[in-house]
Amino acid sequence: MKFLINIALKNMFRNKLRTFVSVLAIAFAVIVIVFARGLIDGMIESSYSMYIHYDTGHIKIMDQEYEQKQRLLSLAYTVDGIANKSLSEMENELLKLEGIEMVIPRVKFGAAVSTEEELVQMMAWGVDGQKELKFTNLERELVEGRMVSSGNREVVMGTELLRRIDKNVGERVTMVFNTAYSSFQGATFDIVGRIESNLPLLNKDLVFMPIDTARHLLYLEEESTELLLVTDDRDKAINYLPAVKNYLSANEGERYLAQEWREGSSFIQLLQVGERIYNFIYIFLLLLASIVVINTMVMIVNERTQEIGMMSALGLKKKDILKLFILEGGAMAVIGSFIGSIAGGTLTYFLSDIGINYGTAIEDMDILMTTIIYPNFKLEHLIFGFSLGIVITSLTAIIPAYRAANMDPTEALRDI
Amino acid sequence: MALVKLISLEKIYQQGKIAVPALRGIDMEIESGEFTTIFGPSGSGKTTLLNMIGCLDKSTSGEIIFAGNSINQLSRNELADIRRYNLGFIFQSYNLIPVLTAFENVEFAIRLIDKHSKKDRRDKVMHILNEVGLGDMAYRKPNELSGGQKQRVAVARALIKEPKLVLADEPTANLDSETSEEVLQIMKKMNEELNTTFIFSTHDPQVMEYAKRLVEIKDGRITKDQRRD
Ligand SMILES: Nc1ncnc2c1ncn2[C@@H]1O[C@H](COP(=O)(O)OP(=O)(O)O)[C@@H](O)[C@H]1O
Ligand SMILES: [Mg+2]
Repeated sequence: MKFLINIALKNMFRNKLRTFVSVLAIAFAVIVIVFARGLIDGMIESSYSMYIHYDTGHIKIMDQEYEQKQRLLSLAYTVDGIANKSLSEMENELLKLEGIEMVIPRVKFGAAVSTEEELVQMMAWGVDGQKELKFTNLERELVEGRMVSSGNREVVMGTELLRRIDKNVGERVTMVFNTAYSSFQGATFDIVGRIESNLPLLNKDLVFMPIDTARHLLYLEEESTELLLVTDDRDKAINYLPAVKNYLSANEGERYLAQEWREGSSFIQLLQVGERIYNFIYIFLLLLASIVVINTMVMIVNERTQEIGMMSALGLKKKDILKLFILEGGAMAVIGSFIGSIAGGTLTYFLSDIGINYGTAIEDMDILMTTIIYPNFKLEHLIFGFSLGIVITSLTAIIPAYRAANMDPTEALRDI
Repeated sequence: MALVKLISLEKIYQQGKIAVPALRGIDMEIESGEFTTIFGPSGSGKTTLLNMIGCLDKSTSGEIIFAGNSINQLSRNELADIRRYNLGFIFQSYNLIPVLTAFENVEFAIRLIDKHSKKDRRDKVMHILNEVGLGDMAYRKPNELSGGQKQRVAVARALIKEPKLVLADEPTANLDSETSEEVLQIMKKMNEELNTTFIFSTHDPQVMEYAKRLVEIKDGRITKDQRRD
């Protein structure tokens, strides 16, 4: 076996250009695979965290009825405590469940600001400023001023939203909204901070205010439109979910709904299906590259007919000759896959820092996705591309190798 | 007991619908230690006969007894084993592996048998290369050797495993007469020193002179068989 490997490796250098072209084809396919995986992973990772931060938490608790009416920003179906206990008692009990580290209340409602030209619609969130800073990445995106703090009539807005209402941090803004009793109200706020984000929702739609201020203005008691639970590990959230559901149904029957982050969003489910489909595309891509390798191997087998006959005469069996040619194809596969995964990895590594801006393409789509994608550099993707390259190319190399192994020795030896 | 015994051996090639008889009933015995040439015009069936004796191809009818055993019923892998352990081959076009040195080309044949230690193997290869006069060219690749030198490497490769029988199909057809004689001389020397049995085909009268037994074949039949001393 060792000497077969030795010969196979040396044979690769018999026609350097041809070997080079084959290796290049594999390398190219592997580069695309490693990079595409990094890119898709980056996209998925960023949308996961967007959804978790700005929609679902790790587990989201809301009223059954609210689920259908989320888009309407209804204030009629809130979470206001459990059994006879208040919302803050409920929060404390939730914190005692396994894995739950933080409970984040949000009151979501619609609001508008009237400017000289138009009525600018927006989505207002009553939040606990400190918790939001801790849980989301707002800290980084709060480019001016500070986050809202409780007790004050103040707001934080996105850059684009401020531009539309023509205001700056430090100025005041008057907003109109519907209260829980459907009465029309207005209030004036200090603008204390500005967010600049490549997430369109944050940049142009959202206004944050302290949750107690929001409750007061909306005539809400101690209640929230939703509670987000943050666990110690988002991938374990699914394991913690049953205890949360038990707690809710034991005390309140069917009233409250608890959803893990993956259930909460059909877009995330779509992404997960996509992930699986891409794997087939990768295999297809490698099969294309393998055609070059097969072609090279067919030429090799034709050229070495006499040599195959000689080896057969010397007593090499079918399986030895098969091995010899698969090893040669396999060696090209290893080299090509190695170069490809390193180059693809390098490309991903650089772009994971700079990001790829595809700008306004998704700006108006109703999904939580940023306009800049940062490909995710992971060793795992390099290993994936490397292994897939080797496996697929070596498997296709079996076809020409089999032809060589099946040659009749007398035919092979015959002088042309 | 004869090393090889051929009994009414026939080989008919099927070329489309036409049957081409290449051997039409060969009866022959080859004793251990013989130095035999099979000669005859081109197309007379020399290669076909050597392929039969060399366990590379199967006959249409008749029987081949190799060292007392009939090989008619053997599988492709069993035939490969016979070749691996008992037979050496020398080809007209040398068939050395171009990426290996002379040393490695010779070593290749005993790597297949794999019962020697690395050092033993080295000693054996160097010994046989010295015997064929190429001791100082062991590390040259085939393209750095002349035709005669290449064929001497091939002789060494055939002999390294000390086979019972060496078959050579027109081993000198690509060589000039002087080099041909060199190669033949080496083959003869090995035959005498190691008592290796040789069968080689040729249509060159000068080369035939070296043989101790001459078998003439015409149109698939043996027409003359004479021994000399
Ligand atoms: N594979 C084959 N298919 C058909 N005919 C063949 C084949 N091999 C040899 N022959 C025919 O068999 C005869 C003997 O050929 P061969 O043994 O090669 O003769 P030699 O080696 O003496 O020149 C020739 O007529 C040749 O055309
Ligand atoms: Mg011939």
